[in-house]
Amino acid sequence: MTRTLRNALLGAAFGLALTAGSAGAATIKVGVVAPFSGPFALVGKTFKEAIEVYQAEHGKTVGNDTVEFVYKDLDQANPAQSKALSQELIVKEKVGYLAGYFFTPDALAVAPLIDEANIPCVIFNAATSAITEKSPRYVRTSFTLWQNTVPLAEYMAKQGIKKVVTAVSDYGPGIDGETAFKATFEKNGGTVVDTIRMPLKSNDFAPFMQRIKDAGAEAIYAFLPAGPTTLAFAKSFSDNGLKAAGIKFFGPGDITQEPDLPALGDAALGITTTFNYSRVHDSAMNKAFLAKHKEMFGSTDTVTFTSVGAYDGAHVIYQMIKNTGGKSDGAKAVESVKGMSWESPRGPLTIDPNSRHVTQTIYLRTVEPVDGKLENVEKAAFANQPDYGYKVGK
Amino acid sequence: MTTMADHSAPETTTPGNTLMTTRRGIDWIGIPVVAAVGLAAYWLLPDDLGLLTRILSSALFVLSLDLVLGYGGIATLGQAAMFGAGAYAAGIAAVNWVADPFALLAVGGVAGGLVALATGALILHARGLTLLMLTIAVAQIVQEVANKARDWTGGSDGLSGIEPAPVLGMFRFDMYGRTSYLFALAVLVVALVVARRIVRSPFGLACRGVKEDPLRVSAIGGSPKLYLVALYGVAGVFAGVAGGLTAVTSGIVGLDSVGFSWSAEALVMLVLGGTGRLYGAVIGTAAFMGIHHILAASDPFHWMAFIGLFLIGIVLFLPGGIASGVERLVGLVRGKEDRA
Repeated sequence: MTRTLRNALLGAAFGLALTAGSAGAATIKVGVVAPFSGPFALVGKTFKEAIEVYQAEHGKTVGNDTVEFVYKDLDQANPAQSKALSQELIVKEKVGYLAGYFFTPDALAVAPLIDEANIPCVIFNAATSAITEKSPRYVRTSFTLWQNTVPLAEYMAKQGIKKVVTAVSDYGPGIDGETAFKATFEKNGGTVVDTIRMPLKSNDFAPFMQRIKDAGAEAIYAFLPAGPTTLAFAKSFSDNGLKAAGIKFFGPGDITQEPDLPALGDAALGITTTFNYSRVHDSAMNKAFLAKHKEMFGSTDTVTFTSVGAYDGAHVIYQMIKNTGGKSDGAKAVESVKGMSWESPRGPLTIDPNSRHVTQTIYLRTVEPVDGKLENVEKAAFANQPDYGYKVGK
Repeated sequence: MTTMADHSAPETTTPGNTLMTTRRGIDWIGIPVVAAVGLAAYWLLPDDLGLLTRILSSALFVLSLDLVLGYGGIATLGQAAMFGAGAYAAGIAAVNWVADPFALLAVGGVAGGLVALATGALILHARGLTLLMLTIAVAQIVQEVANKARDWTGGSDGLSGIEPAPVLGMFRFDMYGRTSYLFALAVLVVALVVARRIVRSPFGLACRGVKEDPLRVSAIGGSPKLYLVALYGVAGVFAGVAGGLTAVTSGIVGLDSVGFSWSAEALVMLVLGGTGRLYGAVIGTAAFMGIHHILAASDPFHWMAFIGLFLIGIVLFLPGGIASGVERLVGLVRGKEDRA
């Protein structure tokens, strides 16, 4: 308190400009690498807005140190560029923490850097389980496909669904989802009657819909990258009469992310997903988060899972700075947050000491209209879900 | 490609003559200048070596594109197929068998060359737009193979864990990128020397002949397709080495290295620098990536618009690329000297 007082006095004496520098403390920089332009620009925007909301709520200082976020644009998956940008952040900007990373290869690219520089890297999104195995300095605040898929498969088996077709995009995360689903669902007594892998760039899904019909499945488990492909898939699902035939549509929550829902429209109605965050999650903290977001940016239309990934990531970084007293020691900082639990807008979180990935509640949601807007309405919650893919999946 | 017109300009006319001598003059000093500027950048910008290393390995890739487009007239949007093949081959070799960086470059070069020879033999009978489409198709196939062969390539997660041994057993690839940068610079300079030798050899001249007039080449007993396939293969080796260099210096290979946008971006950089000059590839890459970096750093959210304006400006005012502007400038100075 006395220090604050002294600072305030100093400030009064020397004016505003001087106080900022004379606090006798350093500025700790956090480098955020994410897409801020191009087709995935929305991701970077949600990261940045969530960080700003967090800083507005918790202040820009930790102890005596000011925390400053530096943003670098990486518009698509490009690991070589990711490494060059991160290297620049470390060497030139002298950041004490790295954060962000939307795509898995971009996150993987920095493993040798953070080990050599002894800097923690907090991943806001990149969701392949294997990432945190590659360096002890990774901490992740998002989710993995395994984490979302295992409770979904168990739920479906409990609902008495016996025959399921999996339809995933033919790339890393899709295959992760398929593997996780098949393993869990068959262990729980169900049968996966067909596994369909669709080319990443396909837009015509009619032939796949025919295959799903022919397989005689009661439900499908689908995963596609969020955006236009999911839109086409969901439309094709209802246009080809699968929805009318009573086939149920399940999948991880990425496919019904909040910013896409208006475009998905009625085709999205009734899609049941499991995920770590819904914008309409009913908690005081989420309401406060949304209110602050609305106050600062005028709308909450873009708030989605990447927002809370960044919000909680910022929280972890603040805690690390606090625990290390502002000194730069990556190994110690990561050690200090292992096992840490806290309350987030998405619910209770714990950093698993082994995998350094968040253990969290996974919610079962159905797309329904709320006040004229489509939302992922939570129907059930599965508490304390770890990353089931750690050291299992690829 | 219109920039090549002055090659066929009759040597008797004065403007053509000065341009030819100018270009020859620049050609001589071009490679030492690249080496000198590269070394100067090492001292002047010690904090930006990550970006500079990316520029060097990309310049090598654009150089390979200049060989096929600027000297063979092969319109391609699939050069990344060779780059990616080289990068993945070097990466897979590094993860499983060898660690010596020079050996990895060789592996990359061989892979790029083989892919180029195999696909070139299949598609180079076509010309113009048909050829363009075929090159895109080849790159798509290579990309899909890389995506499917997840056990080897890591699929969309990327192939990580490439840890090359120290260069010559002495210089470790460190976090600051000093070794990476000097290694890349050395590779690029050697590649420029070799490329220069190739385009001035009888083989290189024959390829230019094919570019200008394939009919005439066949009339004097040469096989245009043979020359083009050979040139495509040689350029494939360059692209493969560039891929290997990227794998070695960045330690990871992603699907983007075989992507369409990488091929297209290389074409933009080449046209920006100037085709058919070799050093135009280096200038174009340095200019594009440098400006991209400065703009993206100062405004990470809207830099693309400024890049667009910059490109439009270059195309309007320097249709032959930045290199043609340099040549005109040198020509102007020379002209004054002659008159004096």
